[in-house]
Amino acid sequence: MQALLVLLAIAALSLLASDRRVLDPGRSAALAQLAASGLLFLALGALVGPDALRIFSPKDLVAMQPLLALGLGVAGVSVGLNLEPRLLRMLPKEIYLAALAHSGTAFLWVALPLAGPLLFTAGMPAGAVVGAVALLGAAASLSSGHFAVLGYRTGRMERHRGLSVALLTMLDDVVGLGVLMIALSFGTAALPWEGLGLVVLTLLLGAVCGALLAFLMHGLSDLGELMAVLLGGVALVSGAAAYLRMSTLLAGVACGATLIWVGGRAVHQAARVLGRFERPAYLLLIFLVGVHVHTRDLMAWALLPAYLGLRFLGKILGGALAQRVAGHRLSLPPRLGYALIPQGGLALCLVAEYLVLVPGSLSQRVFDVVVAGAIINELLGNRAFQRVLTPPSHGRRGWEGTP
Amino acid sequence: MRAVLLRLLLLLVLLAVIARAQVWRVDTGTSVALAAGALLLCGLFAGKVAKGVGLPRLTGYLLVGVAVGPYALGFIPGAGVKGLELVKGLAVSLIALVAGTELQWGLIRRVGVKVATLCCLVCGVTFVVICAALFSLKPWLPFLAPMTTGQALAVSALVSMVVVSFSPTVTIAIVQETSARGSFTEFLMALVIIGDLVVMVGFAVAAGITRASFGGGLDVGGLVGGVGWELFGSVVVGCVLAVCMLLYMRRVKRELPLFLVGLCFASAEAGARLHLSPLLVSLAAGALIVNLDEREGERIHHAIQRAGLPIFALFFAAAGAGLKLDALVTVGPAALLLVALRAVAIYGSCRRFAPPDDPRLRQYLWMGLISQAGVTFGLAALVSRTFPDFGAQVEVLIVAMITAHELIGPVLTRRAIQRSGESHTDDAPNVA
Repeated sequence: MQALLVLLAIAALSLLASDRRVLDPGRSAALAQLAASGLLFLALGALVGPDALRIFSPKDLVAMQPLLALGLGVAGVSVGLNLEPRLLRMLPKEIYLAALAHSGTAFLWVALPLAGPLLFTAGMPAGAVVGAVALLGAAASLSSGHFAVLGYRTGRMERHRGLSVALLTMLDDVVGLGVLMIALSFGTAALPWEGLGLVVLTLLLGAVCGALLAFLMHGLSDLGELMAVLLGGVALVSGAAAYLRMSTLLAGVACGATLIWVGGRAVHQAARVLGRFERPAYLLLIFLVGVHVHTRDLMAWALLPAYLGLRFLGKILGGALAQRVAGHRLSLPPRLGYALIPQGGLALCLVAEYLVLVPGSLSQRVFDVVVAGAIINELLGNRAFQRVLTPPSHGRRGWEGTP
Repeated sequence: MRAVLLRLLLLLVLLAVIARAQVWRVDTGTSVALAAGALLLCGLFAGKVAKGVGLPRLTGYLLVGVAVGPYALGFIPGAGVKGLELVKGLAVSLIALVAGTELQWGLIRRVGVKVATLCCLVCGVTFVVICAALFSLKPWLPFLAPMTTGQALAVSALVSMVVVSFSPTVTIAIVQETSARGSFTEFLMALVIIGDLVVMVGFAVAAGITRASFGGGLDVGGLVGGVGWELFGSVVVGCVLAVCMLLYMRRVKRELPLFLVGLCFASAEAGARLHLSPLLVSLAAGALIVNLDEREGERIHHAIQRAGLPIFALFFAAAGAGLKLDALVTVGPAALLLVALRAVAIYGSCRRFAPPDDPRLRQYLWMGLISQAGVTFGLAALVSRTFPDFGAQVEVLIVAMITAHELIGPVLTRRAIQRSGESHTDDAPNVA
């Protein structure tokens, strides 16, 4: 019954989110923005969850685990399929360094100061706290380039600039995933090296599934069969990882990356078909993420302003650093940091994965902070992006550099 | 063919490795997504292998399901297969929707009376034969032995009513697979669908009588109300669904396969909760759509064909994985005897009563009526729930029969369609 309820809720929300009156910024800019980014689903999920209106019980959350695993698997495979080898080889190292600079700065700015409060309030072993803090930093390091994409599509931003920002935000996904691996190494086993072994096995499982999937697709010409094989493959890799209590997200990324590296033309065709399911799968996933939120953890509410403030500072500083490193290679806008404020769906995936694999009060707290932060960052992001579009004053131009 | 076998083999090796990983991951997580992915992929390639050796694809889906399921190789845990119940409801709804689009008013007028008469005769003869056999086996069947004569007769009638049922799901899937068209195929499909209605009514009556024989009292009002709700309620809900679909197709016109899958899923789940027949709901919806707007009916047909392949492969592979082979061992002899008797009864009644104007009906129709699947499963589970004293044992017997019928039924159905000369191609793209 709960599955039906979820699907009906998603259907109703999809209708609501695509309603012109909701999407009209003239009526309510915040609502329109949340609906367009899909985060409205996150907020509504939190509202109907066991901690607020209690439409879903904790038992329902357990029953929904396969859906959550599947959603994370689809997200992982989609991220992996974006790791186009030709494009990655083409990028000069300054661009990688710039991505690392902006995401690494935000990571350090959040993780280091918040390690103390988490260590003293959680009452857990230092290893577990290190994992949780790393995850908090990883979520903070991620940015979403959707405002930049929207900016150049609507002609408010020069196309090259928009693409450059989007490229940087895409690359920081790798940093986030790397930190997830570290956090899982600390959290999923008694000893860090055992956890690391598990992470390696996860990547291996994903790669094997991806290679097998590429082989299964080879020679298939019928689009229906291709789609069926790809859907089956995504379910298989997420299911296998969930069954073995490994990270479905990481296994999915490894699967998608292997697939795009060895799959050839058929994969591109199938990936286009998968794209049709991406939006519904994403909305379903973030709704399920929202349902898992605990709204009554006072400590999480107390950490939230610190997390938001530190991330904001980290992004501004990181943006300036990235500008210096890759300003001559990429057409980056001045005040780049302001364009990096919105957080992407991957941040939610990271913390959801951590919550599933390392259940406990600490991971729940990290999860709650990041989810609430994602909504606020999305609302702040629009306003911050306006500053990127506005030409900077004369005195500051020199400091931030011109592309 | 060799390449397909190699792909299937590699999939099985991967599944074996995942299954054996339990050695070091004792406390495993959820297995539903694993079951879905593995059954879909294995089903797809097993279907190709089956086609390569001249069997229906559906048999390939079923056999690979049996092989990797919890009762044979055990690569997929039972909990994973059980979690796929939702997919089964969805597949039945989609298949029934396609079947409904075949029920044009002209066809019903042309063969309706003939089909209904033959259906009642085939069901009647089969019912009498099975009921007599069960009653004669009373001393040897553990659940009948301790009952009084009246009770044993009532329970025999109840079980016989379940055993009579056909499988519209398998028939329609095979018709899709072979792209069959013609009067024989129309007759066969109409017969299995009407057979379902007959069984539904008969089952409700038999259940009422059985309850009365065990001291529950015969509630005629409740009986009529229940049957009426299931039949007419399903048709009414189906008509509402049809209007929704027509509105969507005329106004929105986008992502029809996705919309149909969502709607069928919701109707299957809601129908089961409201004690409606998901099959009848979708059937009525499809029939109304095609009779109101033939072009939209065709669109639905093509849309489901496009979205249907993964769902059908997963549905039949999951059905195969759910077949309890151990039941076949424990009640095997009795089940096989009943399977043989049912086949003889269907064969005899078709040879004797089928309309003489088409000799193919007398020769081959019986082959298309052997399959049993979802409806029979559902009724067996209902017996188990309604009569906890003996229902579980009855369920084991019926499931053993279904296992045998699932394995031979699709092959016979395809043979019937091929011999009737109405199988147009075995290479239709995007079909089950």
